[in-house]
Amino acid sequence: MDVYEVFRRSGHKQPFEHCGTVTAPDSAMALLMAKECYLRREEGQYMWVTRRSDIHSWSDEALFEPAADKSYRFAHAYRDVVRKRELARRRAGQL
Amino acid sequence: MTEALVAIVTSLGDDELILGHRHAEWTGFAPHIEEDVAFSSIAQDEIGHAAAYYSIASSLTGLTRDALALGRSQGEYRHAVLCERPNSDWAYTITRQWLYDRADSLRLTALEDSAHDALRHLATKIRREERYHLIHADMWMERIAHGPIEGRTKLTRAATTALSATAGLFEPFEREADAIGEGWLTVPSEELGRRFLSEAVDALDGLGLPAEVTPDGWRAEFVASSSGDLIATAPSDPGETSTPAGLGGRSGRHSPDFSELWADMTRTYRADPEATW
Repeated sequence: MDVYEVFRRSGHKQPFEHCGTVTAPDSAMALLMAKECYLRREEGQYMWVTRRSDIHSWSDEALFEPAADKSYRFAHAYRDVVRKRELARRRAGQL
Repeated sequence: MTEALVAIVTSLGDDELILGHRHAEWTGFAPHIEEDVAFSSIAQDEIGHAAAYYSIASSLTGLTRDALALGRSQGEYRHAVLCERPNSDWAYTITRQWLYDRADSLRLTALEDSAHDALRHLATKIRREERYHLIHADMWMERIAHGPIEGRTKLTRAATTALSATAGLFEPFEREADAIGEGWLTVPSEELGRRFLSEAVDALDGLGLPAEVTPDGWRAEFVASSSGDLIATAPSDPGETSTPAGLGGRSGRHSPDFSELWADMTRTYRADPEATW
């Protein structure tokens, strides 16, 4: 028996969302079980299952923590870019 | 004439109600949690179908659906004996569901040609849901049939007893000739039974469970598969050969198994028929 991750979406314009897991011997049985466990109250019209072992993830989440200031990677860091450019031009003119 | 129609919807409704009740007895006890939810859902579906058949019966008799489902004496129920048999083990439960849903699929397909509007529409609606039940039963049958020998042995034993009782699903309804005359039924029950039997034996063969059936068709003996590892059920086992063929349900003759089920199922209603919740 394997653990399968179950995804469903409520309509074809919605994204698939993870909704839980089932334990099953193969993918066909996993779909069968997932239908009754996660779509029995009309929560959606589409369903995926995938074996948990087929999902790949980082083993060390500490890699996601930034070591330095990365605010330049966010749009909000450029909010007053017009004012800054004006300031820079003015400074350049004074030189 | 109405009586013929009442007999049909009562028989079909009772089949679904009683089998649904047996299925529901697995709630909390199925082999694993996911199957527990799935099988309980199927039980609810079957009882829902019963309610739909009783709605038609209700419009013809004036009795409420509750009174039809829970207010009758044991001899007034018209389900096949197959439906009231105890669940026994999981192999028997699945084999019975597999046989029942195949049989049900055939008779629903036939009812889709019924001249009776309400019956025809209901059959179309129910068959959509029964398609999933059949997928469920097929999947389990395949896995048990192709699994270890212990499962296969249990499966052949279950198929031997359940198949003979399946005959009861194709016993003619009361006043069936009237219903055929009106076009409410388009295929006689016994003809459907013959079609069912040949399909079921082929399907069992496809699962690697080759069965030899008796001339009347309803007793099966499983023979060794080509790989030789199928343990044939011993037809000489007195416990199995003495099993009644499972007929009589359509005229209200049930086995002692039904007394126990009926007492349990109708307890609350008998205590207070007006109870609401």
